[in-house]
Amino acid sequence: MRPFVYARPATVAEAVGLLAIHGSEARLLAGGTDLVIGLRDDSARPRVVVDLKRIPELGPGIRLVGDRLVIGARTVMADIAADPVVRRHWIALAEAADVVGSVQIRNRATLAGNICHGSPAADTAPPLLVYDATVVVAGPDGTRRLAIDDFIVGPHRTALGLGELVTAIELPVPEPPVGAAYTRLTRRHGTDLASVTLCGSVDRAGVTRLAYGSVGPRARLVIDRTGLLADPTADDAAKAPILDAMFAEASPSPRSMRAGPAYRLAMLRVLGARAIRTAIERLGEG
Amino acid sequence: MTDTLERLDAIEAAAIDAPTDHLSIEVTVNGRRRRLDVAVHHTLLDVLRDDLGLTGTKECCDVGECGACTVLVDGRAMNACLILAVEADGAVVTTVEGLADDGRLSALQAAFLDAGAVQCGFCIPGQLMAARALLDREPDPTVADVHAALAGNLCRCAGYEQITEAVLAAAEAER
Amino acid sequence: MSAGRVGSSSRRVGGVDRVTGRQTYVADVRLDDVLEARLVSLDCARARIVAIDTSEARRVPGVRFVMTAADLPQPVPRFGPQFQDRPVIATGETTYHGEPVAAVAAETKDAAEAAARLVRVEYEELPAVSTLAAALDPAAPLVQDPSLRPGDPLATTNVLREHRYGWGDVDAATADLVVEGSYAFPMITHFAIEPHGFLAAPDGDGIVCWSSIQHPYLLQKMLARILGLPLARVRVIAPDPGGGFGGKQNPKLEPLVAFMALRLGRPVRLILTLDQTFQAVRRTSTEVRVRSGFRRDGTLVFQDIAADYLIGAYADIADRVVSKGSYPACGPYRVPAARIVARAILSNTTPATAFRGFGNPQVNWAVESTLDEGARRLGLDPVEVRLRNLARPGEAFIPGDTPADGDWAEAVRRAAERIGWRAPLPAGHGRGLALGIKSGPTTGLSYSTVRLLADGSVVVYAGTSDMGQGARTVFAQIAADELGAPLEWVTVVMGDTAVVPYDQQTSASRSTVLMGNAVLAACRDVQSQLRSMAARIHEVDPEAIAVEHGVVRLPDREAPILEVLKAGLGRLGGELIGNGESRKEDEPGHPLNGRPAFYELNCTAVEASVDPGTGEVTIHRHVTVSDVGRAINPLQVRMQDEGAAIMGLGHTLMEHVILDETGRIRNLGAIDYRIPTSLDLPGELVSDMVENADGPGPYGAKGMSEGALLCVAPAVAAAVHQAAGVVIHDLPLAPERVWQALQELRAGPPAEAEAAAEPEAVGAGGVR
Repeated sequence: MRPFVYARPATVAEAVGLLAIHGSEARLLAGGTDLVIGLRDDSARPRVVVDLKRIPELGPGIRLVGDRLVIGARTVMADIAADPVVRRHWIALAEAADVVGSVQIRNRATLAGNICHGSPAADTAPPLLVYDATVVVAGPDGTRRLAIDDFIVGPHRTALGLGELVTAIELPVPEPPVGAAYTRLTRRHGTDLASVTLCGSVDRAGVTRLAYGSVGPRARLVIDRTGLLADPTADDAAKAPILDAMFAEASPSPRSMRAGPAYRLAMLRVLGARAIRTAIERLGEG
Repeated sequence: MTDTLERLDAIEAAAIDAPTDHLSIEVTVNGRRRRLDVAVHHTLLDVLRDDLGLTGTKECCDVGECGACTVLVDGRAMNACLILAVEADGAVVTTVEGLADDGRLSALQAAFLDAGAVQCGFCIPGQLMAARALLDREPDPTVADVHAALAGNLCRCAGYEQITEAVLAAAEAER
Repeated sequence: MSAGRVGSSSRRVGGVDRVTGRQTYVADVRLDDVLEARLVSLDCARARIVAIDTSEARRVPGVRFVMTAADLPQPVPRFGPQFQDRPVIATGETTYHGEPVAAVAAETKDAAEAAARLVRVEYEELPAVSTLAAALDPAAPLVQDPSLRPGDPLATTNVLREHRYGWGDVDAATADLVVEGSYAFPMITHFAIEPHGFLAAPDGDGIVCWSSIQHPYLLQKMLARILGLPLARVRVIAPDPGGGFGGKQNPKLEPLVAFMALRLGRPVRLILTLDQTFQAVRRTSTEVRVRSGFRRDGTLVFQDIAADYLIGAYADIADRVVSKGSYPACGPYRVPAARIVARAILSNTTPATAFRGFGNPQVNWAVESTLDEGARRLGLDPVEVRLRNLARPGEAFIPGDTPADGDWAEAVRRAAERIGWRAPLPAGHGRGLALGIKSGPTTGLSYSTVRLLADGSVVVYAGTSDMGQGARTVFAQIAADELGAPLEWVTVVMGDTAVVPYDQQTSASRSTVLMGNAVLAACRDVQSQLRSMAARIHEVDPEAIAVEHGVVRLPDREAPILEVLKAGLGRLGGELIGNGESRKEDEPGHPLNGRPAFYELNCTAVEASVDPGTGEVTIHRHVTVSDVGRAINPLQVRMQDEGAAIMGLGHTLMEHVILDETGRIRNLGAIDYRIPTSLDLPGELVSDMVENADGPGPYGAKGMSEGALLCVAPAVAAAVHQAAGVVIHDLPLAPERVWQALQELRAGPPAEAEAAAEPEAVGAGGVR
């Protein structure tokens, strides 16, 4: 690893200050499961590494505040996956958090870090899109909130500006209630990076929200309001054309080592149908 | 705010001059409080093996995929190769060397031997630490629980069946 | 079975250190004054080295030396177990992705890394061949300069060697059915969890070298030759490898580290990263074409096999892999006429080396799959077809060679029974069964010394490498049993050429048999000395005394050996020293230089299903039965067989090294090279063994540990075919490949497509 300077701010304001001074030469360190790999393979060459873990304001914590779930930036995947409140109302997020790497990775990797690293294959992006999450950002000009769909810009690119960092992620309690499921395509049953990520939710009003990733520069959210996808009595043949239309924007890379484009496009449909079926079942179970 | 900026300037000035940033940290390793002067770019794995001579924790993939470097940090199983040593300042770390009780094998270690879970042995420290973390939070795990908890520990000798038996036997012995 | 005795599942000797973290692997060796080394290599498959500028690198504080080819004796020494083709460091040209061109030695790892980054190599990338087709193209660039192979007519091609075996007249044979097919086996890498590591230090006027090498005495010999030292001044210390599987058999970077240490007068340590280890070793990959002729009743008329093995830029032991792996390609069957043509073909890729199975899994994949196809087309039960063709005990299934040395039909019957071959098949499931055979060691030499100490405790010296297979425990059990000592009173000393007598190597599943016999012979030597001692003390004819299993049988009573020992050693004390030798001579007329000492025979049966939506294969049940002669330690046998079975599932379902068009490895490292984890296990894994004490080793043992890997792929492919109707000739059977085959099947002629259409399975198809 190339040497760097290590900073350990005690407040969000200090962290913002460091980022504002050093700009792109500073990198934030939360769980480190992406950054430390980057430091070793030289894809990350910061002058300053800013460790966020001494900042109490950043959590970790999972709290229901009124009609929103607030997840502190330092919250790790293992805790999200195990949290009973998350599992009750946002099961797809828990499912996604539960497959990010191994137990060892999940004890370090943070939700905030996952979306800031911005891999198109990030497991948590589709559920956050489906659940309409909001990203809370602190910066030199104060705090702002962005919809997750606006926060994710492209591969490893977010809407964070100079001096900004994520302080929390908020999810509204789904209203009306939804049934949702997360699924993905991997090369083995064991821990793996996903070749296709999918999250689907259905509600009693017949709205189906489907978010998918790893088949283009960023995860995408598409919504079907016809009610057909959410209909438990409709068969696969009837749903297929709607799904096809929803996946029209998918553009898997032809150069990927993990899966070929034709396979990924086909699996979007196969797994998409399965995710929706599970979501419908879960909605039925209440 | 002015204080903060001054402090930041001071950190800045001090840090940028030093070719290798060092920090003095305090970490409890296997029950012993240690004060160490570490380079900030050295990982916990580096420091355990090279600075403390605790070579029981192994180095393999360096990307957090194989689990050979698994240690407990504040009771949780983590890959030491992905933790900068400075991040462990103030933490309680347990390595495989910390499992035996006064030179006597723990029930978990004995179970690994009795079940034939140990072949070349290189993955075993990591497996033991991941198993320790599992049993600490789930004293009565199912086979599926064990498989999931140890999924981040690769074994090329593929002694998974025996490792699973060992963890279940240890769970029973500890109950 | 009392603890420690042969046949008991004693706790692994050396196990305690492994569970306490005290086990010293090569990277754990602590030396004073050691320099850290780092390698420099190019990011391409083949290049001409124009110039190497080390000036900036040498200025990094703490750097002591930056070695390139120019710093070595000229011409740069070359080495290799079969052909001396590999230079100590890249010379003039790099020939595979990752071949080192320079090495830095520095006081710290940080300094070495920083300096390695500053070595500037000016190079010109050259066209490289990394596939069989490319290497065989008449216009292909040559991987090796013809001057490396003087007098060899093949030196102007990339074919290193061609081997021809066979008997009878294949072309004259008439068959009721001829099945023909071509099968590919991908590039696989060993991925032992311990990366390779090497240390060297000057030792007086000699050298000591630490390496996780499986063949310490081979390394000793090679270093002695290259360094111009007598053997007695070259000491190899071989810590237990953290997994070898063949990848650590032969020297790789020890000569480089040795030169650095001697030049600098200080110890030098080089521990490879996992990525560098992937670039250093792999299995040979193959394309095998099989034509099998059958009679209507399923018996074989002929086998016509053409196996092309893609080896790397340097031969390492890969040509031996080709010859030994293809020699028994016909399988454990009665075959009236056979023709086997096997070629070792050079390429600008990682040097292929020994890997568990040693060239057999690759042809087995093709030949067993063809057997299955024959059975299907004849409408016969594949198990029946195996049994009808299977060689009977004592039958010379390879004419003039070691006959079938086991009741192999028993292995088949047990596997079929444990898989439930005749039981009704759940919907969507399929079953497959296959046989694998591998020749054991064809030549060999092992010495052992056993010391019976004054208190009855025992020291065993055995030069075998214990890389997890449990050799140490096997030898300890033999000595404990023979000399009546508790297992805890037996110490086994391995891994030091200065102290332990010669052992040829650890490979070919040879050690229980060859070294085991040497240990046994050394114990018998001690027993013979005890007998003389007892005869002297009791004034009895030695012929009237027997010594066995810790007991001295005198004419009138039995005495524990300790009693005789104490009386015999007398006031001066001392010990008894026994020596044993186990030797299997070369047979120069034999294609493999010797007949196999035994065969490893395994029968594998699996039950699997296929997710018709995703192509994912789920193994519900995996049965593996090996013919082992006698299990010295049944638990260890089970561990090895189950481990080999799962490793076989690796190359069957998920592993392959991916190269780009220029020959660079794309999936270096653990993230994109997938091996089985605890979540990838079969729903049920059952192992069993056939023990008829019919092996040449101690107590009738044979070698084992490779068998259970040999035929996993064809067994799974047969199950996949029955479950989903697809026939696949390429490995791995990754979900995408199976899905592709399903698509092609469904798109086929209407009648086939209808038959293949399945209702979509509900659920994602987990392993349990």
